Amino acid sequence: MPDIRMLADNVRLVSVNTSRFKTGRISVTAALPLNENAAANSLLIYLLKRSCKEYPEFTLLNGKLDELYGASVSAGVTKLGEAQVLSLSAVCLDDRFALTEESIFEKCALLLADMLFSPNCKNGSFGADKLATEKRLLVQRIEEELNDKRTYALKKCVEYMCSGEAYGKAKYGTVEEIESVKMSDVYSAWKNMLSTAIFQITVVGGCDADKIGDIFEKKFKKIQRNPVKPQTVFIQKGRHFNRYEESFPVNQGKLVMGFRAGMSNSRDNIHAVRVMNDIFGMGTYSKLFANVREKLSLAYYCWSRFIDSKGLVLVEGGIDTDKEKKVSAEILSQLSDLRNGKTDPEVLESSKRSLKEKHTFNTPESICAWYASQLLDDEIVTPEEEVCGIEAVTMEQVCEAAKKLSIDTIFMLKAEGEEVGGDEN
Amino acid sequence: MKINRVTNEKLGETVYTAVHPSGLEIRVMPKEGYDSAYAVFGVKYGSIDTAVKNADGEFETIPEGTAHFLEHKLFESEDLNAFERFAKTGASANAYTSFEKTAYLFKGSENVGQSLEILLDFVQNPYFTQQTVEKEQGIIGQEIRMYRDLPDWQVMFNLLKALYSEHPVRIDIAGTQESIAKIDADLLYRLYNTFYNPANMVLSVVGAVVPDEVFEIVDRCIKNTGGKAAERKFVKESGVPVQKYVEQQLSVAQKQFLLGYKEELSEPMLSLEDEIASQMLTEIIAGKSSPLFKRLIDEELGDMGFGGDVFNGFGFSCIMLGGTSKDPEKAVEIIKDEIERYKKEGIDPAAFERAKRKFYGRYVMSYNDIDDVANLMMNLYFSGYEPFAELEACKKMTFEKVQSRLDAVKDEFSALSVIKPMA
Repeated sequence: MPDIRMLADNVRLVSVNTSRFKTGRISVTAALPLNENAAANSLLIYLLKRSCKEYPEFTLLNGKLDELYGASVSAGVTKLGEAQVLSLSAVCLDDRFALTEESIFEKCALLLADMLFSPNCKNGSFGADKLATEKRLLVQRIEEELNDKRTYALKKCVEYMCSGEAYGKAKYGTVEEIESVKMSDVYSAWKNMLSTAIFQITVVGGCDADKIGDIFEKKFKKIQRNPVKPQTVFIQKGRHFNRYEESFPVNQGKLVMGFRAGMSNSRDNIHAVRVMNDIFGMGTYSKLFANVREKLSLAYYCWSRFIDSKGLVLVEGGIDTDKEKKVSAEILSQLSDLRNGKTDPEVLESSKRSLKEKHTFNTPESICAWYASQLLDDEIVTPEEEVCGIEAVTMEQVCEAAKKLSIDTIFMLKAEGEEVGGDEN
Repeated sequence: MKINRVTNEKLGETVYTAVHPSGLEIRVMPKEGYDSAYAVFGVKYGSIDTAVKNADGEFETIPEGTAHFLEHKLFESEDLNAFERFAKTGASANAYTSFEKTAYLFKGSENVGQSLEILLDFVQNPYFTQQTVEKEQGIIGQEIRMYRDLPDWQVMFNLLKALYSEHPVRIDIAGTQESIAKIDADLLYRLYNTFYNPANMVLSVVGAVVPDEVFEIVDRCIKNTGGKAAERKFVKESGVPVQKYVEQQLSVAQKQFLLGYKEELSEPMLSLEDEIASQMLTEIIAGKSSPLFKRLIDEELGDMGFGGDVFNGFGFSCIMLGGTSKDPEKAVEIIKDEIERYKKEGIDPAAFERAKRKFYGRYVMSYNDIDDVANLMMNLYFSGYEPFAELEACKKMTFEKVQSRLDAVKDEFSALSVIKPMA
């Protein structure tokens, strides 16, 4: 069990003290409701990442990081259910390996706290040129989502599927929203984040977590906290089956099938749904791998992924466009087998073993990600506890969970002017 | 087997190495506090091996993409395939093929010994028929198509094709639809027997393992075939590229570019010292704390993804710099000016010190990850180095050495690859 300490109202420090790694990792995550402020929030986190009062240019900040033995700071924006999560993380060499006597870890924590609380900001302005640059880079980031058709197709399927829900909103906001953000919006977003976001500071490494906690506690003391907890709406059943398509001049088509998992919250029936999804299309023993790929040679990849924070299952495959019907029929037929208990009991055991391995974390990143994903949960679940739940799942529960899976939306990215397909087997 | 211990005190890590009578190199690093082990069984056979020595001692050409094709096929067997066998131990198994090697791997926390036996067994026991080979052509055909749509991949292979005229580093790792159509079961067996013998392989295991148990399993499971390490053909090329500029239109949002500087090699391989010196040089020129990086961002000619890398192996070596840009030609002009400036003025000693600290830190950090360490130890073996050689080379690196690597960056040996959005 990690150590947990509350630093302020809804500011939680979760620390895993271990000396097995050569690095220390600190991740600050802040959850806000996913709404029309998404664009300003996103710009904010990238502005905070590029400098701070002490190092007002990103080349200076990066130079400082290089001196700290190649420490790195990264910023990110993700969706966690219908929350927008902003993150600022630092990775650094553990103090044991420094060539001189110094605490790299503490220096990194101080730097991170400075970036968050003492940004390079004067009279409510982060600098017009800096905001313009971050707008350009963020717009580019969004436009580049088109480059990887696999990610693009997944994103489009979710957008269509959840079009009337907050979850359908793009995590960075839209290009139009980004372009219309004013300096005062970013400044308000900063104040708003410090005051209302749900925070977690996750620390993994051999450092003194209390010292890290003290650094942030001191900073939060000066903030008037009014936390607002983001809520996520769970839709249990697909309401309206729809199919959407788009064509691109590419070589391979991408099929995405979106299902609702029948959950009423992010922990509802979680273990059975996890195992069900794994048997459906995660492992090499899964139905989709064994049939769509290995038996029918229809795809190089055909996987299903489970988004617990919103109760969705997404199946994706890279296929020949003219085989869409054949592939989607095969996917549904495999789901039908799963519902009807036509699964080798050995596969259930394989799945449990595999899921247990997936919850055995060997890097600071994976440990940190596991706890950071629980930012909005009141109770922290350890990987061991999750595995216990998984091991108790029966084949009946898997079938029941599969029966609750309902198709909602299909998105097909068609390859137009596709090269002549491979030989039919 | 004689077992050697190599310890790096500062890092607090020890590697146990041995050479099996079959010629197989074994490297094991137990790591305290870790719950899982990662094992990789590598063969010195990659996509650049497009020629094999025949009985008359002459190199004979083989189709492109055979190493990758074999990688796919080895998972199959007459009864349970390798994936089904690993499913019983819980380990997750995978494989990959690169320019110079094929690697089979697993990661697991329980039944590690059993998983290791499966790994050694399935790689040593090929089984395929004409029918299963044809089935794989469909799957690999889809894999090739997937890569054709990835701009990052295309921009790099287009550059390699522009830089290299003869060297097989210019071909796609998976080959082409046409080349894989020429592959049949007989050919695969023949190539398997040429490359897959323990003297041409290495086993690297890291994490929650006991070295003696690994050596015992290897002793029991490795067949001594009496084979030799396969000889690789050194395709020597002049530094002059095939073409200075190449572009392709793809379904992308913005232009992407990659500028490559080819190095003329007299020996097949760069020394590790030269390789690291080139990497530090690239970091000094194009890293996130460099003046160049700031200028490209400020002038709206680059994004945070801009950067450089050293790409080298048997018979090839180049420095690549690139990213996304609205005006690649202008960005390249600035990059080239900056390199000329360094050639005239020399590199900044403070930037060298920063780069050295950064590299040292990053090398130490990479020992966190059992996947990374196992692959690193395999790669060092294939390049002829002992464990931890990269750390030692980094510590001894001098300013003069890094500076001297600028000589290998020549404008007349450069080429530019650009991906443009569809009109």
